[in-house]
Amino acid sequence: MSVKPPGSVAEGKPRWPKEDPARRGLTRKHREWLAALLFVAPDALGLIVFLAIPMVLSLALGFFDISGFGTYSFAGLTNYKRMFSDPLFLNSVRVTVIYVALFVAGVFVVSLALALLVKQKLPFVGVFRSMFFLPYVVSLVVIGLVWQFMLTDERGIVNQFLDIVGLGSVSWLGNPRFALLTVVAVSIWFFMGYYMVIFLAALQDIPQEYYDAARVDGAGTWATFWNVTWPLLKPTSFFVLLVSTITGIAGLQAFDLIYIMTKGGPANTTMLGIFYIYQQAFQFNDYGYAAAMASFLVLVMLVATAGMFVLTRGGRFEVD
Amino acid sequence: MEEEYTTGTKKNGGISRRQFLARGVAFTFAAAVTGPGLTVLSGCGGGSSSGALRFWQFYAPGGDVAAQSKWFEDTVEAWNKENETQVKLEYIPTTEYLNGSKLQTAFSSGEGPDLFIISPGDFLRYYNGGVLEDLSQYMEEDARNDFYKNVMTTRTVDGKFYALPMEVEPMAMYYSVKAFEEAGLSEADVPTTWEGLLDAAGKLKQGGRFGLLFDTNPGYYQNFTWYPFMWQGGGDVVTESGKESDFNSKATIQALQFWQDAIESGVAPRKALGTGGNDIVSNLAQGYCAIENCGIWGVADMRANASDFEYGLFKLPLPPGGRYTTDLGGWAFVANSEGKNPEAAGQFCAWALGSMSEDSINRGVDWCTKAKSDIAPRKSVQEKAEKEGGFDSGPMKFFREEAFPDGRGEPRYTPEVYKAVSDAIQACQLNGADPAQAAEQAAQNINSFLKGYSGASLV
Repeated sequence: MSVKPPGSVAEGKPRWPKEDPARRGLTRKHREWLAALLFVAPDALGLIVFLAIPMVLSLALGFFDISGFGTYSFAGLTNYKRMFSDPLFLNSVRVTVIYVALFVAGVFVVSLALALLVKQKLPFVGVFRSMFFLPYVVSLVVIGLVWQFMLTDERGIVNQFLDIVGLGSVSWLGNPRFALLTVVAVSIWFFMGYYMVIFLAALQDIPQEYYDAARVDGAGTWATFWNVTWPLLKPTSFFVLLVSTITGIAGLQAFDLIYIMTKGGPANTTMLGIFYIYQQAFQFNDYGYAAAMASFLVLVMLVATAGMFVLTRGGRFEVD
Repeated sequence: MEEEYTTGTKKNGGISRRQFLARGVAFTFAAAVTGPGLTVLSGCGGGSSSGALRFWQFYAPGGDVAAQSKWFEDTVEAWNKENETQVKLEYIPTTEYLNGSKLQTAFSSGEGPDLFIISPGDFLRYYNGGVLEDLSQYMEEDARNDFYKNVMTTRTVDGKFYALPMEVEPMAMYYSVKAFEEAGLSEADVPTTWEGLLDAAGKLKQGGRFGLLFDTNPGYYQNFTWYPFMWQGGGDVVTESGKESDFNSKATIQALQFWQDAIESGVAPRKALGTGGNDIVSNLAQGYCAIENCGIWGVADMRANASDFEYGLFKLPLPPGGRYTTDLGGWAFVANSEGKNPEAAGQFCAWALGSMSEDSINRGVDWCTKAKSDIAPRKSVQEKAEKEGGFDSGPMKFFREEAFPDGRGEPRYTPEVYKAVSDAIQACQLNGADPAQAAEQAAQNINSFLKGYSGASLV
């Protein structure tokens, strides 16, 4: 039995609706392109106006000496040269590298562990998933204030607990040895729920048959993880590594925490690159220098991203 | 039948769907691209030429302290009744005003407020940026002479006033009477030397309470609170000419060492509560410390938020052979010389705070003794406030008679100099750096900056 399309020749009507004469100039393919362009245009325009143009302008500002009160003068490469002889900028790069290394490693391990945990069939597992995700929906300013309160020297709840167990009090935000670690820990706590959800989605995508086969082959929990879960999680791991690295270098979230909790101190030990750029632009009025450093930061992010793509073969981790 | 549409143009003079879409896209693009561009360009002209003068500050309307908010509102209301050019108060939250980017961003885009307030620590940034109006041209000579000289030094360039202070805020030490009693100390044990202060702080430290608190947050405020300890030993950040650093001195090193000792002996915390060392209620009144280094504004803060808390005051202790001095801070009205009507803005500042009229003097008295707790920046205001009993007893009497005399106005430095000093303080206080090395490093940084500096003098 054959099915005739509506409007078939057999019914005395044309097979396709008559082409609009106004569209004769465009082929079907071109019309589809046009439709696609129109759909993409609002987003693209937004990106161009609010991201691409400012980025280009920022890159250009790096070549100027700008007072912040309307006076500009061309400075050539002065701002870029100054960067590499400025001990505070070099310190901020060092702090950023340590922050990114600790944050990326920490958030990866913690969120993967949490995802593995909440994937189990545990009572109230939905409640646990929500609890772990909850910090991510709270304002970072609120998180900074709450943690600052909990970490107060001597009388904060964390130090009181340490006192009870005999470990003594620590100045988490006032001691240079601990301040950056504390900011990293709070950043991980904030992001762990978000990356946990991503890992959980990937874990739930792994067919149960693989685990059954591994069990039949006599694989234990650890062997199953290394031989089944880990290889199949590689694309997701790449995504998490990439996004968390960019997040760490850009420091947009860490900025809020540092602004609230340490102001870059004590003794510049939490002075991330992004915070130093902010300070130069808005407290020192040195917009040209700040723009040069921001351009450098973008370059570092591009290199880091490209490096990760190359090392992981675009997240596939496969050897051709 | 003739076709209704040709290539996209409707014969009856309307527009086709394709034209509508095309024109829509063009309009959207034009609006998106030229909109921000025009905003930026229009900003270069200094804002629109009509409307009320915008007055940015962190008191009103709806600020934290009702009496202070009302003082600003009453001042503006009185001006608006008498003048055609109106002033409108615009409240900026304190943290945003002090550490945020709003004010600076506004000036960068040519949209700075017509009126705003600044402290001496920020004076050079705006003066060197060319946005401060000369206010002395709107004042009578009597009124100009009425301001205390030591208060105006850091607001004056070439004999002209560019900011009119509404207050003078000396620093002192506050202590908890209860904590003293618990430690078996009395008023007679109030320390007068640095060594005595650390000793007393050691006795006062117990449980979750520290003996002493100096500010620990890096920034202008921390520098402001530390300067007197350097000055007491005869040190300074720059030489008298302001062209060279004087930071690498014995006085500087001993002041850096003193703050380091306070932390390393464990009597002072590495982190203050609330907004920092300026927050007397969150730290002293809440029992976080027994002695706190804070300014005269603490009197009003205690009155408003911890009226039952019993506290005492003493002058900043001295190093061996030191000479007493303290830092005199305070905020001032300024007018934007690039604003929509600099003349009217300047006249407003002079009318509000710098006139010999009874209203202007009363306004000063109200601010210093009723809305806030401050020393007045003008002789006539101070005299009237004293006649009215504003400094007859208690903490205000202490500040007027003991802390204020021999005080020095908060210095004005550029951000580069402030940062060099701040890094030295932070490195020594919290990171165990060698004070001699930190002072030397800061002096080098300051000298290297001053070689190419051409703005107003550092005082």
